[in-house]
Amino acid sequence: MLDTLLPILIFSALALAVIGAVRRIRLWRQGRPARVDLLRGLAAMPRRYLVDLHHVVARDKVMSNTHVATAGGFVAAAVLMILVHGLGLAQGVLGWALLAASAAMFVGSLFVARRRRKPPARLSKGPWMRLPKSLMAFSLSVFLITLPTVGILPTGFGHWLLALALAAVLVWGLGEMFFGMTWGGPMKHAFAGALHLAFHRRPERFGEGNRSTGLKALSLDDPKAPLGVETPSDFTWNQLLGFDACVQCGRCEAMCPAFAAGQPLNPKKLIQDMVVGMAGGSDASYAGSPYPDKPIGEHRGHPHGPIVAREGTALVDAETLWSCTTCRACVEECPMMIEHVDAIVDMRRFLTLERGDTPGKGAEVIDNLIATDNPGGFDPGSRMHWAADLNLPLMRDVGEAEVLLWLGDGVFDMRNQRTLRALVKVLRGAGVDFAVLGNEERDSGDVARRLGDEATFQSLAKRNIATLSQYRFQRIVTCDPHSFHVLKNEYGELDGHYQVSHHSTYIAELYEAGRLHFAPWKGGTVTYHDPCYLGRYNGEYEAPRNVLRALGIEVKEMARSGYRSRCCGGGGGAPITDIPGKQRIPDMRMNDVEETGAELVAVGCPQCTAMLEGVVDATAEVRDIAELVAEALAERPAASGSVRVQQPAAEEVTP
Amino acid sequence: MRLEAQQPGAQEEAALEVTVLVSVGRHPLTGRARRADHDARGVELALTLDKARISLLHAGALDEESENAMRGYLGMGFPALTLVEQPHGADVIPALADRLNDARPQLVIAGERAEQGEGSGLLPYLLAERLGWPLVSGLADVEKIENGVATLLQALPRGQRRRLQVRLPAIITVDAAASSARQSAFGPSRRGEIEAEPAAVTWDEAQPEWSVAPARKRPKRLKIVKAASARDRFKAAAAKAEGGSGQVLTDVTPEQGAEAIFKLLKDEGVLR
Repeated sequence: MLDTLLPILIFSALALAVIGAVRRIRLWRQGRPARVDLLRGLAAMPRRYLVDLHHVVARDKVMSNTHVATAGGFVAAAVLMILVHGLGLAQGVLGWALLAASAAMFVGSLFVARRRRKPPARLSKGPWMRLPKSLMAFSLSVFLITLPTVGILPTGFGHWLLALALAAVLVWGLGEMFFGMTWGGPMKHAFAGALHLAFHRRPERFGEGNRSTGLKALSLDDPKAPLGVETPSDFTWNQLLGFDACVQCGRCEAMCPAFAAGQPLNPKKLIQDMVVGMAGGSDASYAGSPYPDKPIGEHRGHPHGPIVAREGTALVDAETLWSCTTCRACVEECPMMIEHVDAIVDMRRFLTLERGDTPGKGAEVIDNLIATDNPGGFDPGSRMHWAADLNLPLMRDVGEAEVLLWLGDGVFDMRNQRTLRALVKVLRGAGVDFAVLGNEERDSGDVARRLGDEATFQSLAKRNIATLSQYRFQRIVTCDPHSFHVLKNEYGELDGHYQVSHHSTYIAELYEAGRLHFAPWKGGTVTYHDPCYLGRYNGEYEAPRNVLRALGIEVKEMARSGYRSRCCGGGGGAPITDIPGKQRIPDMRMNDVEETGAELVAVGCPQCTAMLEGVVDATAEVRDIAELVAEALAERPAASGSVRVQQPAAEEVTP
Repeated sequence: MRLEAQQPGAQEEAALEVTVLVSVGRHPLTGRARRADHDARGVELALTLDKARISLLHAGALDEESENAMRGYLGMGFPALTLVEQPHGADVIPALADRLNDARPQLVIAGERAEQGEGSGLLPYLLAERLGWPLVSGLADVEKIENGVATLLQALPRGQRRRLQVRLPAIITVDAAASSARQSAFGPSRRGEIEAEPAAVTWDEAQPEWSVAPARKRPKRLKIVKAASARDRFKAAAAKAEGGSGQVLTDVTPEQGAEAIFKLLKDEGVLR
């Protein structure tokens, strides 16, 4: 009886899956067009899945092995089942292979079930709780119906009732695995995820050591082109596909600093809300952690309805979007390679460019950037006041230098001025031929862009690029990772291509080249805080640690360091929009520092310095790497006196 | 940003015709053209009025600088702005008065003074004189408008407010006491249209004879506090500005008035 029933069951499940797939694809196609190389993407997909994605998944060893067994077993079992039971090709080895595949899948599903017994808070419940049972139903029933096929059990073994019961369990399994895959069950992640990897909007991020973190430019030349994302259908189709790939594992949620601080953001919920908006409906069926303090079931959306309501509620509240610090911890952690930050900035762009609704001090900062080229509204002619006694060579005078020192808006901040003075002392100590733009420098546009004001970003960037094009230099060095990232990764689209180094990288190189010599470290224990825009955005984790090592410092690492470093709360304009939460992100970070017992935390970013130094009753001192290096600077041996020293090294003045 | 007033339904009711006079502002540090702060506050005030049909009006020349500034106002959510074309060096008051006479708005809102040019703050007064309309200066808010009478809240020093009623049509001016202007968004500012209208030109005869210099901050009279204790110093710092020795002259001849002013200037050491 099963012999006739099985092909019918299998092929009807497949047919339903195909219908579901067409429906799903039509949901994605509501999005705006995007230029994607479909064939090349499909060809690259297996490698992206098996290598790039696996690297991320493998950070959780148990879950990674579980997934290999379950998913690998399922894919093999599904294909073999179609061959063996669907087409009746039961001869020889195929049946045994099917037995092995379904057994592997069953073992995997046991581990899935074990994790679901006491699931961590980050995991979604609801339909996901039945997934291990469905996996077992599928694998077990496939295993059992294959036993007679390979001849372990005689054909016609058992009662027909047993066969019927087995068929019922198989229907459940097929329903979850085939039907649910395209009609919106937990297994949807396999279908959408595979295509998402193939048609990813940042194909350049795949491959060993590759990264792609710069925001994509908005076309401002075409007055018809929409400014940002108002409705779910304003996303490109492959962004919508990406949202649909989410497995709701909640790794992003566990890493999100805003979520931990009790601000109304949860990256996982945000992605699920976009899925709700794409399909239309309410978020009531979402079964994970909500946005802190925002009950589930009050928001609803539509593919062509607004995501953020002008009044009342729609799909997402504006403060959710403005809570993000753009630290990219979620993107780094996502095993599905979903681009949360891109989506958030797309939606911010609409709020700022079309609605003029940047919260907090956002509007004031943007006005200042437009009128004075710096966010604080300071006189652009006073950019160099901090260095009145340093006699820095100006590019306008020298025209050419080995290093262009990009100062950043920290020139107006008295704390950062100390860092800059230290950096100048280091460069002079190493005899570096450098010059600054002085009053010709403008804000890099980082804050404007992350507040969604693409117009002001492009205006600043184009003028900076025009200024830079007048001078000759080999590379740009800056102590601000935000300027660093924007100059290096985001000016390219506007035809500004530069070699840019963070000061820690450059100091490490100078030390390697023997141009810097340090007195031994006499201070206490030190930890290092990775700035998001240096680490996750640009992959520079080693150079700052090398510099600290060269100083004779042994870094006591925080639990969250390197690619898992926790944001200081200063990125993405978050201090400007200032969305309230239950605690402050920098306070949490200084607690991380306290746990290491370090007396000093070394940083490499003016934002981080400001945020961490603003923590009351901190147990550790906050110092920039440049300051530590400048303090340890020893006299150079006389032999290397041939290097040109332009100025006597400046003494650091500390108020 | 769609204004309620532009929806067809709202226009059928007796919509309040409001014209806001907007000028080209100048950033105090960089001198870049921008929407003028007081004028933008006037636009904001207009946007808070119920059932108002708002038109923006600027008299001047169209160049890159003035376009930047006008786009700043359009970015607050307007589809269009009317530009009464006037060359540099023209007296814009007759042109504005003609235009307002034709358009007949019930309420005209203007900023207290321009951020460049003469910046005398006299334009609303001269317009009011020409049109024969009442003028109320220094408004903080318009509370309501009923049956052609507006109830206004005028800002006085030290946060005091005075409620006034004025029959429309009227001109009102706002300064820093009015609520600050909303953000100007790039989208609407780019889409908004500047509708240029030619107008008769009256040359400002006096202006060429003037020499123009950047304004300096006016010196402030130092408050000399002879206080023995912290309490006295605090009281002095928190005290109201007192007129004290001022005097009000009524029913005097011009000569007597001039005499009194001359004497005051001598006493104050302005004239020696």
